[in-house]
Amino acid sequence: MGQITATLGKTIKEFLRQKTILFWTIAWPILWVLIGSFSFVENAPSEVVSYIRGSIAISMSVFALMTAGMANLPGNIAQDRERGLLSKLMSMPINPWRDLVGRILALLAFSSLAAILVTLVGYGCGARFSYSLIGLLQSIGFLLLISLASAGIGMLIGTFIKHVHGAIMSGVGIAVVTAAISGVMTPYSSLPWLLQQFARIYPISSSGSSITFLLVGEEYAGYRPLSVDQTTLTIVISLLLFIGGLVAYSRFCWRKE
Amino acid sequence: MDAISVEKLTKKYGENEVLKGVNLKIAEGEFYALMGPNGSGKTTLASIIVSVRSPTSGRIEIYGEKPENSKQLIGYVPQENFSSPILTGRENLMYFAGLLGYSKNAGEKIVNELLNKIGLSEDADKRVANYSGGMRKRLEVATALFPSIRILILDEPTTGLDPSARRKFLGLIQELRKEKTTVLLITHIGADAELASRVGLIDEGQIIAEDEPERLKNASGLKDVMNIETTIKSENVAKILRKFSEEKKVLETDVGYRVYCEDVEEATPEIVRSLDAIGCKATKIETEKPSLEDVFFKLTEKMVREVS
Repeated sequence: MGQITATLGKTIKEFLRQKTILFWTIAWPILWVLIGSFSFVENAPSEVVSYIRGSIAISMSVFALMTAGMANLPGNIAQDRERGLLSKLMSMPINPWRDLVGRILALLAFSSLAAILVTLVGYGCGARFSYSLIGLLQSIGFLLLISLASAGIGMLIGTFIKHVHGAIMSGVGIAVVTAAISGVMTPYSSLPWLLQQFARIYPISSSGSSITFLLVGEEYAGYRPLSVDQTTLTIVISLLLFIGGLVAYSRFCWRKE
Repeated sequence: MDAISVEKLTKKYGENEVLKGVNLKIAEGEFYALMGPNGSGKTTLASIIVSVRSPTSGRIEIYGEKPENSKQLIGYVPQENFSSPILTGRENLMYFAGLLGYSKNAGEKIVNELLNKIGLSEDADKRVANYSGGMRKRLEVATALFPSIRILILDEPTTGLDPSARRKFLGLIQELRKEKTTVLLITHIGADAELASRVGLIDEGQIIAEDEPERLKNASGLKDVMNIETTIKSENVAKILRKFSEEKKVLETDVGYRVYCEDVEEATPEIVRSLDAIGCKATKIETEKPSLEDVFFKLTEKMVREVS
């Protein structure tokens, strides 16, 4: 089976069987899609309602990926440390990198499931998208960047916050606050200038805007996030966060005292 | 060749020296119990042997190799309940089979054998959250019984188990002895340590005595022990009982005191009268042979276990 497959199987089963994880990562975004799709479009012209619903579904899919990476992953790491599993693993002939790859693959699989479910509910509520095949593939790439950046932040939290509840609450807190101030949950155009700058630097919101731009249109993204500079910045910061998380986890979680 | 060899091992955390030059040799197939109170360094020693912590100085060899190169030979069961409560017993074991590199089919075969060995075949597909403490601990021991493993290191495995679960668990460990598995049991419970072929008593980072359980008890010079249940536990009661005890030592227990007497028959009526005089009743007096906890108390004047 191999270490990666074993860790992947165990982690994904744990994600799928914990009610709090299912609630925050799947039920909560779906609830907001349902609320937003009907209450935020009352005064909108009928020809744009389906696109507003589309942008709401994208925002909530992004939020689902954020909570998966920033809360579920560190919660899982902290839980394994708190109950002595990391000590047990350190005593076994195990490669920490394989353990890590297994965890990340489980996160990506679970995040994909959450994003698909949230999008399907949005579609059921009348969300419509206009896209090309290239645009769809680019959007999947940006979803991957969101997952990697969130996982990087999650690994940093899981490495340095030792207790399960502390790790989960920190992750949820960071996800909610940064989503609120970076335009994931609110329209980019309604943010003050300073937060608009943050929204462009914060790779999760800039990736989210890119997806909205690609699948719904520029007026719903609020700016043109697909310029070369902006896209490069988004990719570089996402990868830096992910690599920072990898290094912290493999160095400090598996370090002998 | 020794299964485990530890020489002049030290471990410091800042200024605090937790292990002070520990020497330990455990032969292949031996059941060795390391007994000491909380903070004596026994868990630190075990975690260094299994490569979870590094020593400050000293040498460790597992079958003549460095511990990092011998991980496939060691099955470690830490104190905590590390199994995942939301997975079933079988899923937990399959996870470890995968980590150890078994294919799905080979893993399933070995996991079925392990479940049978630990008596959990019928409950294998229940989630661990529904297991009793004893069942969970047996499952965790099974993670350390895969075929490549030759040394089993158990860190306080019976802590928190009820007497019946504890008996069942220790029965499992006794079974493993027949298979020539080397066992290092870390414990603070004398009755558990007595099952071992050899016991080391550890205090303040040093092994202070080491021998077969009976020889340790004989060497201590302790004769009979009176186990006295009293209606009151106080310094005054302890002071009276000390007059009747060897070297004036009295061990406090959950329900009273243990008194080390030269002549139990002569002392009993005197003890009852003296306690009566201060309004304390001896509700039960039993005479026992000294335990390893008594030996530890005699050597260190410390209790291995906290009394409740």
